[in-house]
Amino acid sequence: MSERTETVLTATQVSKIVDGPDGRLTILDDVTLAVARGDSLAIVGASGSGKTTLLGLLAGLDRPSSGSITLAGACLDALDEEARARLRRRLVGFVFQSFHLLPALSAEENVMLPLELDGRADARERAGEALARVGLERRRHHYPHQLSGGEQQRVALARAFVHAPQILFADEPTGNLDQRTGAGIGDLLFALNREHATTLVLVTHDGALAARCAHRLTLRAGRIDGSGA
Amino acid sequence: MRPLVFAARSLRREFRHAELATLAAALVLAVAALAAVATLASRVEHALLASAAELLGGDLALGASQPLPPEFAAEAQRLGLASHRLVEFPSVLFAGEHSKLADVRATAAPFPLRGRFSVRDAHGVEHAAQTPPSGTLYADHAVLVALGLGVGGSVQLGDRAFVIGGEIASAPDNGDPFRIAPRVVMNLADAEAAGLLGPGSRTRQRLLVAGDERAVAAFAAWAKPRLPAGGRITTLADAQQNLQGAFERGESFLRLAALLAALLSGVAVALAAQRFARRKTDEVALLRCLGAGRGEILAALLLELALLALPACLAGLALGLGLQELVLRLAGGLLPGAPPPLPWAPPLAAFAVGVAVLFGFALPPLLRLRDVAPLRVFRRDTGTRVRRFDVLYLLPVGVGALLVALGAGNARLALTLGAGFAGIGVVTFVLGLGLLRLVRVIAARLHGALRFGLANLARRRALSLLQAGALALSLTALAVLGVVGPSLLERWRADLPPDRPNWFLINLQPEQRAPLQARLHELGAGNVKMLPLAVGKLVAINGQAPKLAEADDRRGESAVNGEIRLSWSEALPPANRLLEGHWPALQPAQPELSVERGWARLFGLKPGDRVSLSVGEREIVATVTSLREVDWTSFHPNFFLMLDPASGAGLPHSYVASFHLAAAGDALAALSRDFPNVSLIDLNAVLDRVRDIVGRVTQAVTWVLGFSLLAGVLVLLAALAATADERRIEAALLRTLGALRRQLSVAVLAEFAALGLVAGAIAVAGAATLGSVLARQVFRLDGYAPPLLPLAAIVLGAALVVALAGWIGTLRIARAAPLAVLRRG
Ligand SMILES: Nc1ncnc2c1ncn2[C@@H]1O[C@H](COP(=O)(O)OP(=O)(O)O)[C@@H](O)[C@H]1O
Ligand SMILES: [Mg+2]
Repeated sequence: MSERTETVLTATQVSKIVDGPDGRLTILDDVTLAVARGDSLAIVGASGSGKTTLLGLLAGLDRPSSGSITLAGACLDALDEEARARLRRRLVGFVFQSFHLLPALSAEENVMLPLELDGRADARERAGEALARVGLERRRHHYPHQLSGGEQQRVALARAFVHAPQILFADEPTGNLDQRTGAGIGDLLFALNREHATTLVLVTHDGALAARCAHRLTLRAGRIDGSGA
Repeated sequence: MRPLVFAARSLRREFRHAELATLAAALVLAVAALAAVATLASRVEHALLASAAELLGGDLALGASQPLPPEFAAEAQRLGLASHRLVEFPSVLFAGEHSKLADVRATAAPFPLRGRFSVRDAHGVEHAAQTPPSGTLYADHAVLVALGLGVGGSVQLGDRAFVIGGEIASAPDNGDPFRIAPRVVMNLADAEAAGLLGPGSRTRQRLLVAGDERAVAAFAAWAKPRLPAGGRITTLADAQQNLQGAFERGESFLRLAALLAALLSGVAVALAAQRFARRKTDEVALLRCLGAGRGEILAALLLELALLALPACLAGLALGLGLQELVLRLAGGLLPGAPPPLPWAPPLAAFAVGVAVLFGFALPPLLRLRDVAPLRVFRRDTGTRVRRFDVLYLLPVGVGALLVALGAGNARLALTLGAGFAGIGVVTFVLGLGLLRLVRVIAARLHGALRFGLANLARRRALSLLQAGALALSLTALAVLGVVGPSLLERWRADLPPDRPNWFLINLQPEQRAPLQARLHELGAGNVKMLPLAVGKLVAINGQAPKLAEADDRRGESAVNGEIRLSWSEALPPANRLLEGHWPALQPAQPELSVERGWARLFGLKPGDRVSLSVGEREIVATVTSLREVDWTSFHPNFFLMLDPASGAGLPHSYVASFHLAAAGDALAALSRDFPNVSLIDLNAVLDRVRDIVGRVTQAVTWVLGFSLLAGVLVLLAALAATADERRIEAALLRTLGALRRQLSVAVLAEFAALGLVAGAIAVAGAATLGSVLARQVFRLDGYAPPLLPLAAIVLGAALVVALAGWIGTLRIARAAPLAVLRRG
């Protein structure tokens, strides 16, 4: 690591307000944070505290009502949805609670997807390597419905790391798995993170998983809970 | 829980979901198609039948080749019937350089007994008319054009000059909608004075009567045994039957096209209902949990459907009736007389069928909801037992079969059609399966968005097959009518040999043969064929009264009761092929007979059977020695029955001839003047008329097929709606992974273009196969190649339209916010 810590992700006074049926509702209120390159941040909090909302904003999937977010040096406010998509496919990886593999594609094709969206020619080769890394080289041609939950999440991990993203967003990656499988996925996630020196932003309920991150941030009703960390 | 209130409330809440809207649209379409077609068919039929009296010119017609004895008219008068005499004969009119063969009717007042007779004067103003005054003729427009005359002009007919007193605007047609020659109407006394009715002239005498129905029946009973040889009674029923026969084939075709639309709509209903049921599952489980009974839930569901069906069927009815009214107005010229009243039975049937389609296709998935376990509220995966087969699925199949049976109106036709539909279904299924596998293989070799789109298609195999099948079926029907049919007709016309006979000549007397032959030779006529013709009646088969092998055969009916035309020839005539047995010998000990295959089938005849025929005063018992196949499209005179020459020569007979003559005109006019008893028939005119009728029918059918195509698209949209949620999630995921909007569009376009290509390929294969079969079986064309270019254009067009429809259908989905993926988790 270099001496000067370079930040790859900052959020400055970010708020999200939505119009609900009973008037306006503030989901996120004045959130400010910074994540350094290669660092890892766990976002914890009760259900409904705004974790997923925050993750979505940080990854550029939605726009904040106020405040600004910078991702890998690019100010997201200035970019439209298409430009943010372009940014995502080069720099960002995702892991979801319910895996979200495309059912029409085989394991290998699912892993190839981020590379192909970016027009890379060596997609199949690299996908094979990524699958081998998660121990699924023999399941390449299987479809999601032929894989167990844990295996599906491993394919998802391969897909998240295959294009060597700078930053990985994970939203409760073990939430849909039993404890043992979840622990295995947690191990794999952190191992891959180390190997690729990826910056990790992890939303989780799982205290043990959160403890493995360098930093923790607790949300309570949309605000950063200062008493935590 | 009060089912009705609950049903009304859920319907209101749920209508904005795609599946109920799809259900309603499918119903509207099915009812509209059926109502439009059935109502139109019934009204056209009604109009034709009602006009039979007008066309016949009376309530009953007696026809004979000699003048009828005066006691016929006297008997009509005694019964209180109006009657009038009409003499018809073909004759040629001359005006300077020009000449024209016409169908002349010479009448005595009052004319007409039934129907309207009106002429236009020199200013084009239409008047009601009577028998023309002495020295005056009324003529069809075609005659005036051919002679280069207007009203007031002067023409030569027989040995007299006449003035054209008016142009015929409308006149009774003697029950023949396929009349060939244009008409001329003249005064009966004039015709006699002009020497047109002398001995040897080819006249047809008619006595038309009109009046009280019972008196007409009494007159018919009186006249029947007293008719001279060759005489004939034409009743209204006969006239109607002629018309009906011509109309029936086109009608059954139309009904089938409408049925196809209804069945495809049924598929859309089934898809929508399935999706509706799936979405309702959670709600039902919760209601069960909260204590609602199965019966209550079912009642509420059925009520909800009924509340939806009623307005949808009514809307369909309104749309269908509006459409048929429009067609009737636009094609008004096709129908004689005022438009007939709106019948109530066909719209009612369409409505009933709409309801049957809804419940037949929607019930199975909905009835399953009854079995949803309340436990599902806690654990999502319980109670979604997948049953591979459900007896309820026989319901839509049963409704479909009933629809076909009703539409065909005949058990055997229904069975044939059912088998045909099933066959097409199976072929579509197998072909579609193969093509989808191919799509999958191709997809594996492609990249990114393209691969994703195609893989999607291959994965949703059942749904893709259904969509492809529905589209393929409607496209096949369209391709056959729009491309293959016309190309077949065109090819058939082009395939006719250059010297094919284009003139027919009938009623040639034996002693006129040689002079006529010489005359034709002189004119340079080619391909001259002459055959004897004797007209008789079928008396017995194997000593028994003739009995039809099939009871309800109309053609057979006329074979039993009507005239039978006989001929004979030393050798097998061209365009005939022996199938079985030997050609009648020249001088056999017993009369020998060769029978055409179809005619033999009517009576179940086989070689060795004895057929008794009466011709004039003679009766002849001939043994069947051979069965023949005849090419009826050959333009040569052809006969069902052919005797041995020795037996034939003993019968009273005349001759018919066919020949080819390129530029006929005046030469034939002169011929017809010199052989006044001979009738000339212009086959080109017949062909043109046939083509015209085929063209109109095709046009009407193509319109109706538009409905089935719409239904096919509806199935596509229903399938699209069924997968909308899934697609939304997938699109959001792809967006999250950084896919651009363009890439999503490419995926969708690829998927639906491939679907269109699969459907189009099946349709083209189907249409081309049908075309080849038709070419061989019906048109007897060797080596007919279906027009692949236009068919290929159809495939591409289909792919394009389907791709566009799919793309538009998913536009909203492509705009899905990527955040949806996170929220789903
Ligand atoms: N589009 C929206 N409209 C209204 N409320 C929303 C919307 N999105 C999220 N919320 C609300 O915001 C809060 C935070 O949601 P979320 O970020 O999903 O929480 P978490 O992931 O911590 O469980 C919840 O109360 C949720 O109901
Ligand atoms: Mg969440």
